[in-house]
Amino acid sequence: MRIELMVNGDPVSRLVEGSESLLDLLRNDLGLVGTKWGCLTGDCGACTVLVNSEPVVSCLKACAQLDGSTVTTIEGLTPTHGLSDLQQAFVDHFATQCGFCTPGMIMAAEALVNSGVPADEAAIREGLSGNLCRCTGYNKIVDAVMSVIEQRNA
Amino acid sequence: MVEVLIPGTLAEALGMLADREGAVPLAGGTDVLLDMRTGRSDPTVLVDMSRLDGLRGVGIDGDLVTIGAMTSIRTIERDAELAARSTAVPEAAHVLGSVQIRVMATLGGNLCHATPSAEMPPPLLVHGAEVDIAGPDGGRTVPLADLFAGPGATTLDPGELVAAVRYPAPSNLGSCYLRQTVRWSMDLAGVGVAASVAVDGDRITTATVALGAVAPTPFVVGGVADLMADDPWDPERAGEAGRMAAAASSPISDARGSADYRCSVVAALVPRALGIAYRRAIGGWPVGRFSPTNGLVEEPA
Repeated sequence: MRIELMVNGDPVSRLVEGSESLLDLLRNDLGLVGTKWGCLTGDCGACTVLVNSEPVVSCLKACAQLDGSTVTTIEGLTPTHGLSDLQQAFVDHFATQCGFCTPGMIMAAEALVNSGVPADEAAIREGLSGNLCRCTGYNKIVDAVMSVIEQRNA
Repeated sequence: MVEVLIPGTLAEALGMLADREGAVPLAGGTDVLLDMRTGRSDPTVLVDMSRLDGLRGVGIDGDLVTIGAMTSIRTIERDAELAARSTAVPEAAHVLGSVQIRVMATLGGNLCHATPSAEMPPPLLVHGAEVDIAGPDGGRTVPLADLFAGPGATTLDPGELVAAVRYPAPSNLGSCYLRQTVRWSMDLAGVGVAASVAVDGDRITTATVALGAVAPTPFVVGGVADLMADDPWDPERAGEAGRMAAAASSPISDARGSADYRCSVVAALVPRALGIAYRRAIGGWPVGRFSPTNGLVEEPA
């Protein structure tokens, strides 16, 4: 079946197989390997991207359902020059250790920050609770997200 | 290789399900794709429900709430009107999976996957929910409890779909959902407890308790209304309701807890859930504020 969607602002038209996941399309077909292949069962959040501005785990999202959708990945969040505010905050707060969870973590954080969440630690932890960091660097991640909420509210 | 069909209307969807034996409805995909990936199911045809806009959304008409089957768990979680009028329902949505899962997962999918520990059935059961079922021979409406046949099994006939869930949410009724989990997030309930209490002034007129994860299907505990009704709040009777609920439970032992432990948790959570539901019914709880999942708050005096 053919689907047409926008990925990071570019129109994409592709033939997709029935159960092909958005993660497969992004990594294998479009070469957008920033989105990570983690558990493939929706548990770890490493494959989080935005579909129509909402965070989803792309490993469990069937491409067949995405005709007409708008998808944003970590590549789409990154400006042509430099880093987005969240990316920079992750650098500044040393919120990246091995880095594997980082793209998914930042996409979940982007959705969280855009949702108008207050600069509240419990709310941030809850909003990111679908993303595992096996380096367990959660405190620094929360600090990074907190700083961006404060910046954007300032 | 699985084929995906994309109907634009409910009638088309029903036709596809009727024509293609073994066709599986695909809603949010968080169970269907997971089961395919892990080898638990191997469907040859999926019928995508995501274009059926008529099955999506929350409607409130007087005291009657209607939630379309394709409404996302995230939408239910964030609906302020549902939080005010049937708090247990968004309270349960709030603890399901993660934000990402809630964005994708749907109410209809959560009910029809019929996981014994599913979050959404207990709160809907204590609100007396009915499900509208669409099928090749027309529609029918059944009490929600009658939808569940066993772990992973519903009473739906082949070709039938859940279209919507309806329940009354009168202003004199409060409700609450609590659960026990091993982890705070991304975990299934070891025990799920919902309670509703209706009042006339400070006198209880009826009370209902429903449990998840402690029997082959979610179920309503019998006898709670008779125990609690016609009197003001009585913590001893709430405790008795907890013991009745534990006695009515038949849990399995697994990684989320032993059968004995689960029964103990039921006995502990039921009075807390009833107490919070009662407070909500009498207006003694901030509107729209969810409870801590373990229900550990001060008991009403």
